[in-house]
Amino acid sequence: MGLISGILFGTIFGIVLMAGWRHMMRYRSNKRVAKAVDIKLLGSLKRDDLKKICGDNFPEWISFPEYEQVKWLNKELSKLWPYVADAAELVIKESVEPLLEEYRPPGITSLKFSKLSLGNVAPKIEGIRVQSLKEGQITMDIDFRWGGDPSIILGVEAALVASIPIQLKDLQVFTIIRVIFQLAEEIPCISAIVVALLSEPKPRIDYTLKAIGGSLTAIPGISDMIDDTVNTIVTDMLQWPHRIVVPIGGIPVDTSELELKPQGKITVTVVKANNLKNMEMIGKSDPYVVLYIRPLFKVKTHVVDNNLNPVWNQAFELIAEDKETESIVFEVLDQDIGQDKRLGIAKLPLIEIGAETPNEVELRLQPSLDMLKIKDKRDRGTLAVKVLYHEFNKEEQLAALEAEKTILEERKKLKAEGVIGSTMDALDEAVSLVGSGVGLVGTGIGAGAGLVGSGVGAGVGIVGSGLGAVGSGLSKAGKFMGRTLTGHSSKKSGSNTPVTSIQENGGAKSLQR
Amino acid sequence: MGIISTVLGFCGFGVGVSAGLVIGYFLFIYFQPTDVKNPQIRPLVEQDTESLQRMLPEIPLWVKNPDYDRVDWLNKFLEYMWSYLDKAICKTAKNIAMPIIAEQIPKYKIDSVEFETLTLGSLPPTFHGMKVYLTDEKELIMEPCIKWAGNPNVTAAVKAFGLKATVQVVDLQVFVAPRITLKPLVPSFPCFAKIYVSLMEKPHVDFGLKLIGADLMAIPGLYRFIQELIKDQVANMYLWPKTLEVPILDPAKAYRRPVGILHVKLNKAMNLKKKDLLGASDPYVKLKLTEDKLQSKKSTVKHKNLNPEWNEEYSFVVKDPESQALELVVYDWEQVGKHEKMGMNIVPLKELTPEEPKVMTLDLLKNMNLNDVQNEKSRGQLVVELTYKPFKEEEMPTSFEESHTVQKAPDNTPPGGGLLVVIVHEAQDVEGKYHTNPYVRLLFRGLERKTKYVKKNRDPRWEEEFTFMLEEAPANDRLHVEVVSISSRIGLLHPKETLGYVDINLSDVVSNKRINEKYHLIDSKNGQVQIEMQWRTAS
Repeated sequence: MGLISGILFGTIFGIVLMAGWRHMMRYRSNKRVAKAVDIKLLGSLKRDDLKKICGDNFPEWISFPEYEQVKWLNKELSKLWPYVADAAELVIKESVEPLLEEYRPPGITSLKFSKLSLGNVAPKIEGIRVQSLKEGQITMDIDFRWGGDPSIILGVEAALVASIPIQLKDLQVFTIIRVIFQLAEEIPCISAIVVALLSEPKPRIDYTLKAIGGSLTAIPGISDMIDDTVNTIVTDMLQWPHRIVVPIGGIPVDTSELELKPQGKITVTVVKANNLKNMEMIGKSDPYVVLYIRPLFKVKTHVVDNNLNPVWNQAFELIAEDKETESIVFEVLDQDIGQDKRLGIAKLPLIEIGAETPNEVELRLQPSLDMLKIKDKRDRGTLAVKVLYHEFNKEEQLAALEAEKTILEERKKLKAEGVIGSTMDALDEAVSLVGSGVGLVGTGIGAGAGLVGSGVGAGVGIVGSGLGAVGSGLSKAGKFMGRTLTGHSSKKSGSNTPVTSIQENGGAKSLQR
Repeated sequence: MGIISTVLGFCGFGVGVSAGLVIGYFLFIYFQPTDVKNPQIRPLVEQDTESLQRMLPEIPLWVKNPDYDRVDWLNKFLEYMWSYLDKAICKTAKNIAMPIIAEQIPKYKIDSVEFETLTLGSLPPTFHGMKVYLTDEKELIMEPCIKWAGNPNVTAAVKAFGLKATVQVVDLQVFVAPRITLKPLVPSFPCFAKIYVSLMEKPHVDFGLKLIGADLMAIPGLYRFIQELIKDQVANMYLWPKTLEVPILDPAKAYRRPVGILHVKLNKAMNLKKKDLLGASDPYVKLKLTEDKLQSKKSTVKHKNLNPEWNEEYSFVVKDPESQALELVVYDWEQVGKHEKMGMNIVPLKELTPEEPKVMTLDLLKNMNLNDVQNEKSRGQLVVELTYKPFKEEEMPTSFEESHTVQKAPDNTPPGGGLLVVIVHEAQDVEGKYHTNPYVRLLFRGLERKTKYVKKNRDPRWEEEFTFMLEEAPANDRLHVEVVSISSRIGLLHPKETLGYVDINLSDVVSNKRINEKYHLIDSKNGQVQIEMQWRTAS
């Protein structure tokens, strides 16, 4: 009896014990999960949530701006700045100098830092915003402001003139830096970083240039040239959609997805211009058009002499890399002795062009693209163009990518050989080269002009590149060349054919019409 | 009879309890699901007052305390990254753990240990505030408040004697408030040499540990005991002032201080290529160490000579023999115009054996690009003799070292006396009426010391060190610190201007051994100067 009741009681006791344990397990587990939920919710508080929790005692010092403020980061940065500045100087020098070299304008033979110190004032991060715009990517926008006192001295060497030190003062950089992290499933979890400056709002980079122990007038237009170089580097390298891709970690990753790739081809026909402004004292302007999407790949039309309503009817092919944000820039210039004057400039956003259908657009010319700077509202005339956008498929895209690479390599080679002074002026220089080539084989009237071209071309070869006057000579050669190509010259001999191919590579094909 | 029945009853009870436990286990626990579900999260606005009340103690610090900053962007970043981080961490953990387990199990007669599931769950750690402290020392201090209440699921299956048992860790919660100190700050990336981590409070740890499905942590009393045990263990190791030290950079390398001297003897060049149109070239050599900011050194110009002999000697201070290299460029001197490059070469310093002179005959190249066809052309040769002499350990200059323990005074100090070291760090907001090119003048017992002047700067940095050898402790003395601006133009009006001064009592320095503080300047609007003083005694 005792045994059975013992077993019975024991069993019940055991079962109750287990039931109690399970109850405790549930209780504890629920408590932990509830806490996890609380922590998660409190970790991403919004304004309304906080209002609900705090009621009337809402802390006044809290705000929820779109770009979150990072006071602590700024405090740390200002403390760390002297050390960062020291460390960054070497890095900047090593990474920016080749860039300067690549984008250096034709008038300058060498552009280097002779002194670089970043000053005492630390940059400020006004705010940070984190989004995930695409699966597997984190987009971080950093509102970056730096009104610093860096001391940057550029050693500028222009042709025939010895090195002049130029000081860059009162640098101010206001921009939003977009950093995209490509995520991966391996430590450190980030396979690549993409850095770019957001184009909207436009990055503002202000500075003043000052020549040391001399005057900026020693080389005419040098400050414009440097402005231009800085501008080109920023817009063509950094400004969205252009970007810098940095692979991270030991894992080899395919970053081609992140790189900017040729997206489509645009066939632009520059038809004619109407009512151009006359810039010349005697006679009328000699207009031609330079057009580009990326400043590295500029193409230009031939020059129409003495005409304010010129007709060009020339077609070019340009490569688009991001249809949403890029635009074609048309710059109408007056060919002149000395520096060519700008008759007007116009911009055609690619997004306005319908795909696969020919569009005819009439563009109003403006004195400058920066609307804030325009003072005179006078009419500058119009430019009529025809555009056709063709979207690449996969194979075409690859081919275009390859072509782009070979062009840049070709130019680098030419530059190393001293044929062209800089990658930027490849257009003019390649043209002059052809001019000289034609000059050598040309006969009759062509020969005279060709010789002039070759003379200038050779001069350029030695000097490296032309200043204003030489430049105009160059474009004369170029003009001649334009005719040889578009004109129906059958005098092309074998010697200039390979050179012509360079010209073709040097931007877009000058289709013969 | 009664006794036997009672004994039997007890025996029965014992058997019954074990049977009951087994039945209960299968009834209540065995069939419990072991997987971890993602908790349902309702927006906070929809929560009722009761759950809001429950949340109150967990309100993030940045809401409660204005000195904590919000770091929602970091939280968002972590959230987006978490699923990737989860996989990466689990994979690495598995890879590290498996070999160790494989090595250990034969000792315990266990057949195998396997991870059935290993995931950190869907909830990332969150930062509930970030606070930074600014001190005058060369360090960055930050205190994030990290709370991780996750839903990880780690299940290990142990097989032994044909039986399988599972150990499962769920619902891990860790709340910590670490203090992260980055110091010392150094002028090379990532700009700090060491990370120190210590906990400001005992951490809160909670989790569920399931052995064959039954949560051990649910046994009343056991949980509290284990939690206390873990807290104490961690506290013993990392609770402030105990720290975990993580070295990032080798400080010696980080400071880039000199480690040796390179002697270069430039002997001669042979068969240089002719560059001038008329007559032979006029060669000279530029020598430079890479990664060095110092200007390159130039040899003399040998006019009209294609086989010049220089026999000149130069020496360079080497900071990093592993990565630095000697760059030699031969130029053609011209009266006018640009000096043309005749050829170059580079000698990496790691090719040299220390203390051993090495004569090298270098082919001159157009550039250092190995594939360049132009380098196949002969441009002549250059003969140099190189000797690299590393400093002996005791010769190493130690002044760069930032040590917070006050160094001993040198041996020749008189007893009772010592060395007073004054380091002038920086000043802030100093401004002169006519010019602001500040330097600091120190006056002590009639001795005057000056720093260099910094051009046009309201927040100058000097980082200069001065020493005064003293017979006795300067307990009743004062140090006069004056910030003076000197005119950049010569003579004329206002050659010098005082931007502010301060008298510092040295008795504090003697008792504290080291003081590093900012002092407000007298006769200045908002000016401050940061002075560090040390009193080094022989004992």
